Amino acid sequence: MEKPRPLRHTWKGAAHEKIPELRRRGLPVAHVADAIPYCSADWALLREEEKKKYAEMAREWRAAQGKNSGPSEKQKPVSTPLRSPGMLVPKQNVSPLDMSGLSLKSDQAVLGGIFYFLNIFSHGELPPHCEQRFLPCEIGCVKYSLQEGIMADFHSFINPGEIPRGFRFHCQAASDSSHKIPISNFESGHDQAMVLQNLYRFIHPNPGNWPPVYCKSDDRARVNWCLKHMEKSSEIRQDLELLTVEDLVVGIYQQKFLKEPSKTWVRSFLDVAMWDYSSNTRCKWHEENDIVLCALAVCKKIAYCISNSLATLFGIQLTEAHVPLQDYEASNSVTPKMVVLDAGRYQLRVQSPGFSHFSSSNQEQRSNTPTGDSPSGVKTSGQNSSVRGRGITRLLESISNSSSNIHKFCNCETSLSPYMSQKDGSKSFSSLS
Amino acid sequence: MSGRARARARGMALSPSAAEVGRVQASPLPLSVALSDSEASSSSDHVGTSRISQKCEGGLSSGDAGCTFKERVGKIRREMMDLSVCTREKLAHVRDCKRGSSGIPVKLVTNLFNLDLPQDWQLYQYHVTYSPDIESRRLRIALLYSHTELSNKAKAFDGVILFLSQKLDEKVVELSSETRRGETVKMTVTLTRELPASSPVCMQVFSIIFKKILKKLSMYQIGRNFYKPSEPVEIPQHKLSLWPGFAISVSHFESKLLFGADVSYKILRNETVLEFMTDLRHKTGMSCFTQTCEKQLIGLIVITRYNNKTYRIDDIDWSVKPTHTFQKRDGTEITYVDYYKQQYDITLSDLNQPVLVSLLKSKRNDDAEVRMAHLIPELCFLTGLPGEARSDFRLMKAVAEETRLSPLGRQQRLARLADDIQRNKDARFELETWGLHFGCQMSVTGRVVPSENIIIQDHICQPVSAADWSKDMRTCKILSAQSLNKWLVICSNRAERVTESFLNCLRRVGRPIGFNVNHPKIIKVQENPAAFLHAIQKYVDPEVQLVMCILPSNQNSYYDSIKKYLLSDCPVPSQCVLAQTLNKQGMLMSIATKIALQMTCKLGGELWAVEIPLKSLMVVGIDVCKDAFNQGMVVVGFVASINPRITRWFSRCMLQRTTADVADCLKVFMTGALNRWYTHNQGLPGRIIVYRDGVGDGQLRTLIEYEVPQLLSSVTEASSNTSPKLSVIVVRKRCMPRFLMETGRTLQNPPLGTIVDSGATRPEWYDFYLISRVACRGTLNPTYYNVIYDDNGLKPDHMQRLTFKLCHLYYNWPGLISVPAPCQYAHKLTFLVAQSTHKEPSLELANSLFYL
Repeated sequence: MEKPRPLRHTWKGAAHEKIPELRRRGLPVAHVADAIPYCSADWALLREEEKKKYAEMAREWRAAQGKNSGPSEKQKPVSTPLRSPGMLVPKQNVSPLDMSGLSLKSDQAVLGGIFYFLNIFSHGELPPHCEQRFLPCEIGCVKYSLQEGIMADFHSFINPGEIPRGFRFHCQAASDSSHKIPISNFESGHDQAMVLQNLYRFIHPNPGNWPPVYCKSDDRARVNWCLKHMEKSSEIRQDLELLTVEDLVVGIYQQKFLKEPSKTWVRSFLDVAMWDYSSNTRCKWHEENDIVLCALAVCKKIAYCISNSLATLFGIQLTEAHVPLQDYEASNSVTPKMVVLDAGRYQLRVQSPGFSHFSSSNQEQRSNTPTGDSPSGVKTSGQNSSVRGRGITRLLESISNSSSNIHKFCNCETSLSPYMSQKDGSKSFSSLS
Repeated sequence: MSGRARARARGMALSPSAAEVGRVQASPLPLSVALSDSEASSSSDHVGTSRISQKCEGGLSSGDAGCTFKERVGKIRREMMDLSVCTREKLAHVRDCKRGSSGIPVKLVTNLFNLDLPQDWQLYQYHVTYSPDIESRRLRIALLYSHTELSNKAKAFDGVILFLSQKLDEKVVELSSETRRGETVKMTVTLTRELPASSPVCMQVFSIIFKKILKKLSMYQIGRNFYKPSEPVEIPQHKLSLWPGFAISVSHFESKLLFGADVSYKILRNETVLEFMTDLRHKTGMSCFTQTCEKQLIGLIVITRYNNKTYRIDDIDWSVKPTHTFQKRDGTEITYVDYYKQQYDITLSDLNQPVLVSLLKSKRNDDAEVRMAHLIPELCFLTGLPGEARSDFRLMKAVAEETRLSPLGRQQRLARLADDIQRNKDARFELETWGLHFGCQMSVTGRVVPSENIIIQDHICQPVSAADWSKDMRTCKILSAQSLNKWLVICSNRAERVTESFLNCLRRVGRPIGFNVNHPKIIKVQENPAAFLHAIQKYVDPEVQLVMCILPSNQNSYYDSIKKYLLSDCPVPSQCVLAQTLNKQGMLMSIATKIALQMTCKLGGELWAVEIPLKSLMVVGIDVCKDAFNQGMVVVGFVASINPRITRWFSRCMLQRTTADVADCLKVFMTGALNRWYTHNQGLPGRIIVYRDGVGDGQLRTLIEYEVPQLLSSVTEASSNTSPKLSVIVVRKRCMPRFLMETGRTLQNPPLGTIVDSGATRPEWYDFYLISRVACRGTLNPTYYNVIYDDNGLKPDHMQRLTFKLCHLYYNWPGLISVPAPCQYAHKLTFLVAQSTHKEPSLELANSLFYL
């Protein structure tokens, strides 16, 4: 066991205590930092008094270190955004009030800073001995800041040029398995020089310093090569420096938590499927053909991930520019395209004695994991609600409930548990996931 | 392999030439394998004909023939490398005997033939140098073979290494020959090694000998196998023809050298690419002909009948015509028309056809240049079955009728091959000069182990057929099942009606087996993947136990996006059902039963068990599978049992970036599984048996040196005093031997539970064959098990019986399966990740069989 180190945050204490259990679960947990992504979900499930216990622990630690513990309100944990994106936990603990207490001067710089996310797709990758390694065919770029969300986007198809003789099969296969852009006779492909010129005009309209441009580390080699290649065909020379999104995420995280997140966490943070079909995310062509992989969508999804998890940390209220809210707002009231039925109406003559409708439960109650292994801190007891009867009654109830607080994007919560307590005023988008 | 040969092999590994070899794969043996036939005609002839490169006119001359010899020596046949790995000698309890004892003996005919050699037979390996040095392999061979001293000896020569069955008089022989140009060339033939018949090098020389023999029986090598184009089986109604053929191998089994042969077929379409193109032009018209043509043809495999080689169509060059010229290796220009006339006496009829372009695989590793072949569509025949043909039931049936041979039909084929080899004068002569004698077909004695009882909640049942006990199960209560209280059903508007009747059915079948299904919340959405995903995102909360999606079509995007989201982003078990499946009203009950069982497993339930006498035993299955999209990624699946009854499983999966199918993350997985076991059973398991599937040829050593230590270190770290005992077994579904049971005058597939652990096994391994499947048609393939590491010291009999028992525990199929259940689980898991999600599933699901 490693030597216990001073813990500055209450949730760190919780995480520390969790390490042995996580190790038992077979997780590669070496430090508190590794444990946090796994614990944060559990943390959010803790009841207030349990959290106090850890806050107490942390205070004791600090006292032992001879440090001033400070008022406990200031130590309120800001842990929820660290949980894996899919967890449906409303953020009870993050309120703008807390954030104001925490925000530092440099936070403003982070919030206002403008980043560009760039991606270029290719028709596969040719073997190393070929002169031409990639065939750029689609480019997407978004202008983003934590404060404003996506401020502008740029998208274009690129004419990949002549496919090197003999590699048609290779390129076709690569395209078919990913973005499905036709390798030849695709009218939308624009001239490479023009696309590059437009891109540079988009990123850098005025003279002065170039803003930072980011792409995912896996794509970096390809994007770099394609940029160089397109520069060759045009006369433009700009040494655009391409940084990795992973580093950016680490940077923002560090800004907030003064520590580095684990690589695995960053990777899974950026690789989520939930926005794959969001409206106004893919380019028109990919949207119409219903293909998930689109260069523009990749960039936008990076922005969504950062908004959803990191921007909320800074107390920013999410707008449509941050995440595709419109999809979820639209379905707040039941649209004709989605009808929810309580299947109780199909109930037949047979009724088993143990039968009951789903119990709608209080927000604080979290069900058991389906496998029966309940992580510690999970409350499984729940009083059965008296909600019975035809689905339509509940449907109406849920509508009236959800329309009463529109800013709470907790659709699933509202519609499933009509008697949910209304105390949650979180502006986070997370409960959608 | 004898101890002597092993010692030599180790010694050689230190020599500089071996370093070259080691670079290719960690092999201790500097095997020289790339021997061609003595005539050296087949491969070099092919270079001259079709490998016409656009790019490297001059470079082409150094095609095959000019390959530097060092590289040739470096080429090793992978399966041969495994043979040098001797695992049995380290396992004390099986050193003397690895045979089991239980069961009823049964006499089995194999597809193996004895190859008799004189007792003192040896192979002599010589190294040949030329002075002045000669580059051309063909010339080297011609010069050496012209000598009377060698002309009537059995020999194999690749330009550098010469194998003889008889020793030359002297250790170093100096010869000299004269080239046609009048140059005198001195050749020095030096004896380097004397190899016993059991040496792996000999096996490869034997393979070369049989290659020659099959050629004399007018069979051609395509890929690895040999086919006979002169006796095709025609399926005229589908424009197909099948070439009968064999996959062969020569190998040293238990005590004897054996020749193995298995029937194989090559499917060809009776249509040239040119005919296909003409046909297409009539159908589509001129306007978009080139595009459709490229779309349909590119990626297909063709065979050129003039040399019986296969190529993939990588591109079509519409600008080149047969009347255009290309540069031959010697620098002269020739038109395609003239070339084919001169070389093969083929007259091209259509002088306006384009040429097909095929990228040639570089035999060298440096990948210095792209080499391409131009092929004439008129001379290329399409092979294999196109995608649409595979879904053509009648076509597939017609093919299956020919290719799926009954045990008797298979035996007749083999008998004829053996007969041909023995009767053909040339073939017999070839064998005799090497001192080989082609003997009779080998029989072995197997054992049929008793069938197993299936334990269900309230009783033990002896199934009528171990292959399928679904009927016996129908009304039995399963071991344990969570009731399904809160769940979602997402379906399209159109599927509402079938969904309703299906849900009723599900409840009806669920009750007798002990699975309570409550009313779900049904969400009707539009028919597109986005609507499904949105509905899931909106309605899934932590209390939802399971999400069922009634998919309107089997389009991948539905399944992939739903699975990806529900496996990783928001971990909830999910069940996807095709609406089409539910339309089959007559079968709805059995469909519902199957789905109910799957859902139970996904919720962490247990279906049935078998009696396992070993207490505190953990079984593990590992499989490795390549990611479908990302070439450099492999998916490693790990499934371990976490209770002594072996009914609950811990499943993990990881993606790793590598080119080899070797797992990196086993230590983490194993430690995780042990921790899980500990929490469930308040202690560590006494024994761990790991079944490793997905092992490629030549990876055995890597497995022993790299994977076993990972497992061991996690096992030893788990406990300070007595750590669990570990065994590792490699499972292979594909193996050469086949076993057939004689019953009266006819032959049958052997019964379930047949074990073969003698005769067809290898002396250096602790291995056995097990038949745990039935086939209603065709011939069964046994599964091959090789115990590469064994601390447990179980009797071979117990190991075999245990393996058989584990084949009963796959919950997706109420019957025996061909591999132990953990292997199949691991396979299912890796397949799901490799094909659909490409992302690690969430750890929260690890306790259930969420991937069934």
